[in-house]
Amino acid sequence: MLSSDEFQALRLSLQVASLGTLLGLPIALAIGWVLVKSSIRGKVVLDTLVSFPLVLPPVITGYFLLLMLGRNGPIGSFLHDAFGIDLVFTWVAAALAAGLVSLPLMVRAIEVAIAGVDPRLERAARSLGAGPLRTIATVTIPLAYRGILAAALLGFARGLGEFGATIVVAGNIPGQTQTIPLAMFTDLQAGDDGGAVRLVVLSLSLALISLSIHHVLVRRRGLLRRPWATS
Amino acid sequence: MGNVLNLRLRKSYPGFELAVSASFPSGIVAIFGPSGSGKTTLLNCVAGLVSPDEGEISLNGQTLFSAAKKLDLPPERRRIGYMFQDSLLFPHLTVKENIHYGYRLTPPQMRRINPSKLVELLELGPLMDRRPESLSAGERQRVVLARALATSPNLLLLDEPLASLHTGIKGRILRYLKAVDRELAIPMIYVSHSISEVLTLAHKVLILNRGRQVAYDEPRRALSQPAVIPAVDVESLENLFDVEVLEHRPSSGITLARLGETILALPHLGQETGKVISIAIRASDIILASAKPEKISARNILKARTEEIHSLGPRVLVQAHLDQPWLVEITPDALANLDLREGQDVYLVVKSSSITILD
Repeated sequence: MLSSDEFQALRLSLQVASLGTLLGLPIALAIGWVLVKSSIRGKVVLDTLVSFPLVLPPVITGYFLLLMLGRNGPIGSFLHDAFGIDLVFTWVAAALAAGLVSLPLMVRAIEVAIAGVDPRLERAARSLGAGPLRTIATVTIPLAYRGILAAALLGFARGLGEFGATIVVAGNIPGQTQTIPLAMFTDLQAGDDGGAVRLVVLSLSLALISLSIHHVLVRRRGLLRRPWATS
Repeated sequence: MGNVLNLRLRKSYPGFELAVSASFPSGIVAIFGPSGSGKTTLLNCVAGLVSPDEGEISLNGQTLFSAAKKLDLPPERRRIGYMFQDSLLFPHLTVKENIHYGYRLTPPQMRRINPSKLVELLELGPLMDRRPESLSAGERQRVVLARALATSPNLLLLDEPLASLHTGIKGRILRYLKAVDRELAIPMIYVSHSISEVLTLAHKVLILNRGRQVAYDEPRRALSQPAVIPAVDVESLENLFDVEVLEHRPSSGITLARLGETILALPHLGQETGKVISIAIRASDIILASAKPEKISARNILKARTEEIHSLGPRVLVQAHLDQPWLVEITPDALANLDLREGQDVYLVVKSSSITILD
């Protein structure tokens, strides 16, 4: 059914989107929390910076990552000198691209989720002896659970479709960095319509699975009822 | 007994300034005042949820806040329990997990109150595995009280804990609060805008009006302040008592119950004898007579002595004493007609049907 290259593309897509989400989610949580809860100055700047990957052409995001991760970039040169690691043109670079591009989407969803938690419950936790971090871990996150999960699924789905930033920073190497969208681009370039259609079906299936999981999770939370959403 | 809490603070918001300076002894101190008088702001300053602009707060000799020393302990390090107006139980945890939340965060050497003792005292046993959403308003307030007490706090703040409850449950929660005061001896600051609650519970009352401290005294003396009038005007005053059921007289349609040395005739009820129940009598439902009335249908004619007479605008509140203080509301006309003075023997006449059984 699937050629081995296509199977590799599927595996890489899942791998890239998963790692991208895993890396992006804690950062998105931290940024989302700061944007909703803290009163520090410069929130507007942070807000704008986070939105950049959403509004800029992904190629630019990829170029930015290339500058950062390249042998002469600040992160790239450190990783190369200290550990001998080169990320550019690896699947990890593709994951970073996926994470960065989906970051604004995750941050927005998490902001909504955190803002939905009654701040008085967090104050109650503080008066019971919980410090700020423990309050986040035991009250804010459990109560914002559904929204955070939705944010992660959104990030994952966006990561699956990442193309522009990935091709710049990770290239299009079959079996190494060639995810489904890149494989499809290659098929279309080569005039392999059959391959392209198979990848379209594959993408559709992945999207359907993600949405179904989202739906099931949301429904299960719904069965537990969430009285705090209303009162 | 020394003072537990010393505070002197100022906190301004646009169009509002709170300025209070007071020392709180152990026992229950009420903070009374109309809404918008700064009661909750004062509690939040003590709890560490709001930072005052100026002043100092210390609890048992430990400074919690000092503007001069730039010290402001975060709430989690103040060891102060807070019972909020809306119960604010954690909806994702069971009753048991809610109660243990703060207990587990309390250093073992500071744990003076065992959760199992609270479960017993507040009769929470059957609720432990339930979720907050399935509890009634009264049950929720009991759980939130247990949750705050499980941290073995040095001070308990209560922000109108009965405001969201109907009268029947109020009496029960009041009884639990008295039990907490008696058994656990934790100093409490109790915010309320209900005179009956203040008189039932508090040893001292601080009266606030528009952020200013109007009076700070024993409840009976403090409540004679003119600033109290606006708050009293809207409230129907009730006397809340705990009585012990003595015997039933079904054929007479009454149940006898004891309040201290006084025997009261209540409407007939099915409670077993020996049980303690809460009752409420509205201050305006009590008739006051300067001589013993005879040939009268009311079943309760109680000899008492007037202690205080407060004229609150169009209402006169007479505080009479027999075992406990009773509030009787009469008109200024009746006051003049009876020529009532403080320290005079009077009779309180109460129909058994105007006694409400609260539980």
